[in-house]
Amino acid sequence: MSPVISVTDLTKRYRGGVTALDRVSFSLTENRIYGLLGRNGAGKTTLMQILTAQNFATSGEVRVFGEHPYENERVLARTSFIKESQTYPPVRVHHVLRAASLIHPGWDEEFAQQLVDDFRLPSRRNVRKLSRGMLSALGIIIGLASRAPLTFFDEPYLGLDAVARQIFYDRLLADYTEHPRTIVLSTHLIDEVSELIEHVLLIDAGRLLLDADAETLRGQVLTVSGPVASVDEFARTGTELHRVRLGGTARATVRGDFGPADHDRARTLGLALEASSLQDTVVRLTTATNGAAPAITGATSKEAHR
Amino acid sequence: MNRALTVARLQFVAWPFVVGWPWGILALSFFINLALFASIGDIDPAPVTGGLASIYIVMLVASTQTIMQDFPFTIGLGVSRRSFYLGNLLQFTTQAIGYAAVLYLLAVVEEATGGWGIDLTFFGLPFLLVDNPVLRYLAFAIPFLLLGFLGIAIALVFKRWGVNGILTLTTATIVGFGGLGVLATWRGWWPAIGGWFADQPGGALLVGYPALLALPLAAASYLIIRRATP
Repeated sequence: MSPVISVTDLTKRYRGGVTALDRVSFSLTENRIYGLLGRNGAGKTTLMQILTAQNFATSGEVRVFGEHPYENERVLARTSFIKESQTYPPVRVHHVLRAASLIHPGWDEEFAQQLVDDFRLPSRRNVRKLSRGMLSALGIIIGLASRAPLTFFDEPYLGLDAVARQIFYDRLLADYTEHPRTIVLSTHLIDEVSELIEHVLLIDAGRLLLDADAETLRGQVLTVSGPVASVDEFARTGTELHRVRLGGTARATVRGDFGPADHDRARTLGLALEASSLQDTVVRLTTATNGAAPAITGATSKEAHR
Repeated sequence: MNRALTVARLQFVAWPFVVGWPWGILALSFFINLALFASIGDIDPAPVTGGLASIYIVMLVASTQTIMQDFPFTIGLGVSRRSFYLGNLLQFTTQAIGYAAVLYLLAVVEEATGGWGIDLTFFGLPFLLVDNPVLRYLAFAIPFLLLGFLGIAIALVFKRWGVNGILTLTTATIVGFGGLGVLATWRGWWPAIGGWFADQPGGALLVGYPALLALPLAAASYLIIRRATP
């Protein structure tokens, strides 16, 4: 099966010397939900803009549905890119939805109307008068109802309340199950979507830190706590990402290829063992990799207060 | 081409906004002029207003909005720059054809009613030089296209190169026209220039030259939009 997206050595340098993407390579296969994670300014939005031909790469190769997306209607007509920063002309909500329905060949009007009701969006209101959350809901409705074979959501939830966010996740999962497609979800609310994400891409400072199956990753990153000596002993079997010390005990996040044998060994060493959440994994991996000392100190003091 | 047609249709999704503004402002301008000159009574020479210009100015503003607002929105929905450009070209042309036809008819009505009963020239062309009906129609239509492309070109310079682009463009325009003005004054060319304009037929001034200006603007806009980011 050919990948939906393949990216090779993609680099983007902005004028002024900022490197937004630094030789990034990966590929995405059909009909999965990808989590594109990373800190602010990591390069997530730039990456999605280049994949949808809204921005230009400095160097490297990009293929979407096997073709270059730039000025390519065959690719663009199958793509939907919902971003937090999207602006709209000063027309009414139903005008915007009508416009989106004309552009997207797979548009489901009934689904769109149902979503308008779900999010309680006033369809006769001018988009300029929508609140931040309503504007986000409008983007989400377009992204879901367009049923594009490749859909990008770039932090689509700004200003949305917890109930509306849950509606988004529920509708996304339900519609994805019924109409499988490739979804790339870029988000900071990692805990909220960790059940949704099937594959994780983590980028930091323009570099790809992680490209892993979510289920596999879950068993790979463990948090162990107990006497310092035992923690030291266990941590040697993997890569230690993070550690908090409190007197004679320690709590460490360790990444490795752990199996049942390792779990048994941890118990023998008298260690408490738990799988790290996706959010913890992402935070630890990001801070461990770029050696951001202040971030680790901050985390330590926060942990110590618990 | 299909996608370009779709883009052209997009523009009419919110048609009350698109059609309402230019004609609403023109109607307002017309009725104010009508009321004003009707209350003044007989004037010599018969009043000629510049009110018709309002619809062309709205067109210029609307075309800059096309780039500032519709471009990021439409490209964001997933359309190529080429389709966006061609779609708007199509929409502008359709609008110019339709609007010019209405204005032409109103000018005919104006003539037939003796300037709305008070000898008012509102829709009639400022130059009575155009007699040929085809040229007269084009004299209404072509300026729409010229202003449309002018607005698009200027907005695209901003979209692609930002404030610096606009400042460079302004500086270049001032230096260019200012330099020509100085040159013409220094060499004593003004009478010759005035004579040249006076010698031009109305058809050339209202149709020929605007069309000649609109074409390079359209071509330049296409080249700029190909590398513009929403």
